[in-house]
Amino acid sequence: MKSFLPLQVSEKKIAIITLVVVLALPFVLSFNPYYLSIFISALILGSVSLAWNLLAGVCGQVSFGHAAFFGIGAYASALLVMKATWNPFLAMVGAGVLGVLGALIIGIPAFRLRGPYFALSILGFAEVMKLLTLNLTRLTEGSKGIFNIPSLPLIKLGGMTFDFYISRTTNYYLAAVLMFAIYLSIYLIRHSNIGLAMSAVHGDEETASGIGVPVFKTKVIALMVSAFCTALMGAFYAHYIHFLNPDSAFDGFWSVMPIVGSLFGGIGTLIGPSIGALVITGLDEFLFKRFFETGHKLFFGLLLAVVIVWAPVGLLGKWVRKR
Amino acid sequence: MLEGGNYALYCLGLAFVFGIMRIINMAHGEFLVLSGYIAYWLLVKWGFNPLLSLPIAAVIAAGASFLSYRVFLQRIRTTPELNTLILTFGIGIFLSNLYLQLWSADIRSIGVDWMEKPLMFSGIYISFGEIITFTISFIGVLALHSFLRHTKIGKAIRITAIDRDAATLAGINVERVDLLAFSIGGLLAGLGGPLLGMLSFVSPGTGLHITVKAFILTVLAGVGSIRGLIAAGMILGIGEAMTVTFVSSSYRELFGFTLFLVILLVRPSGLFGKRI
Repeated sequence: MKSFLPLQVSEKKIAIITLVVVLALPFVLSFNPYYLSIFISALILGSVSLAWNLLAGVCGQVSFGHAAFFGIGAYASALLVMKATWNPFLAMVGAGVLGVLGALIIGIPAFRLRGPYFALSILGFAEVMKLLTLNLTRLTEGSKGIFNIPSLPLIKLGGMTFDFYISRTTNYYLAAVLMFAIYLSIYLIRHSNIGLAMSAVHGDEETASGIGVPVFKTKVIALMVSAFCTALMGAFYAHYIHFLNPDSAFDGFWSVMPIVGSLFGGIGTLIGPSIGALVITGLDEFLFKRFFETGHKLFFGLLLAVVIVWAPVGLLGKWVRKR
Repeated sequence: MLEGGNYALYCLGLAFVFGIMRIINMAHGEFLVLSGYIAYWLLVKWGFNPLLSLPIAAVIAAGASFLSYRVFLQRIRTTPELNTLILTFGIGIFLSNLYLQLWSADIRSIGVDWMEKPLMFSGIYISFGEIITFTISFIGVLALHSFLRHTKIGKAIRITAIDRDAATLAGINVERVDLLAFSIGGLLAGLGGPLLGMLSFVSPGTGLHITVKAFILTVLAGVGSIRGLIAAGMILGIGEAMTVTFVSSSYRELFGFTLFLVILLVRPSGLFGKRI
């Protein structure tokens, strides 16, 4: 494919540029709390998009229900802190582990078949998880939701104090750190043996299994990693927003937006999805919502359709050199 | 039990398109909801009898799916399955948010008095509307079945499903067949919409829910088994009714999904699975 820009930039360089931009952004926005909160959700979304892309872009398995893992993570962390009095940081990891459990429940039956079975099963799974959260009222308070979820505790590092309760900026930087940690893990996985196996499964399952790649196992591992990262971000979301109800935690938003972000940013790249998510959130906030207040998400559907038909490599795909 | 028959109607379009084209139409539920809205507006604005509006709504839904195929799907028909899945998902999001923008999030129910009139059969009350829906659903399944078996176009569709290359060699225009099959899928979805609106309601959020349910039912029946849909629909309907009676109405959806996971594990080819 001919690139519209003469230069080809390596994946690594784009990742570094993104890192610099993300770190500098609060200064540009002069720490305006409203804009910061928009970009915190953009970073959460960016991280989930990275996780989604590991499964779809690298391993070739589309998921329409990542909201399931996001919601599991959010609720698990909130409940572990509030009912079992865990340390919130530990609870976030625990939430990730529960996300992995969810991945096993859905992945093992659904990955036995090839084709669209997984994509749709997980969509149903997300619906069922939401339903359970609504109805297990003794644990989750049902549709009332959980209020006053504690923030992450203070961290004192040298002379600096990081307060997650008052400061948006601190939350912003933690979200950024999480996003790049997820990016780095995915980068490392992609360039390891298991990453090669995932890529082979994406390319051609039959050939992959022919040369001895354990197709089923590879898919399940990709899903587990993806679910862990998504649940982790769900947990972060819970402690950042302090309030959860089934509609917000299992919102279809968390299933749809990672897809839009990934495709828009470039499904074949590793860093693209996070950039896509950041750009899309910006567009949505400052452009789409001005046009249609209630139905602004129709742009996402349109964008998905247009990107997949006319620019399947996405925004960045054309000028990122695969490395 | 009758409700199971309705389920069969709601998922007929999806099962057909999946069986023939190996495409899961994620926008299936949205086409169905579209026709429901059209029947609703025909009734509200001009007092159309919902049964008369049925063909109109179905044709409009078929038109919508014709357009989606022509504008988008046709261009990526030969690329990996993953792409068509995301594409139709995108179309679905577009449509459901369009409904939200145009007609707000209110739920719309098509209320017709004579439809709700109860009939009594040996102590069981059944509304007239339910019987009509069941009949239409049954006729739809049989008509589709015999269309595929006995007409020339139907045979062409089946051959294309089995082997595209051979079909091309036999002089079948496979592009046209695909377009036709996808439009028929929309038409079948369009038949369900007004009936869904009459028996319960339509809203912008209904579509995706229907798509999931339709997929569960398709897997349950076995991909490609059109007649199995009725039986599978009944099993699902009875199971859900029992869940409501013995457990709780809030766990109704859980039954179908659990059954679905079990079927995937135990018998992935479905209860009545065989090739068309």
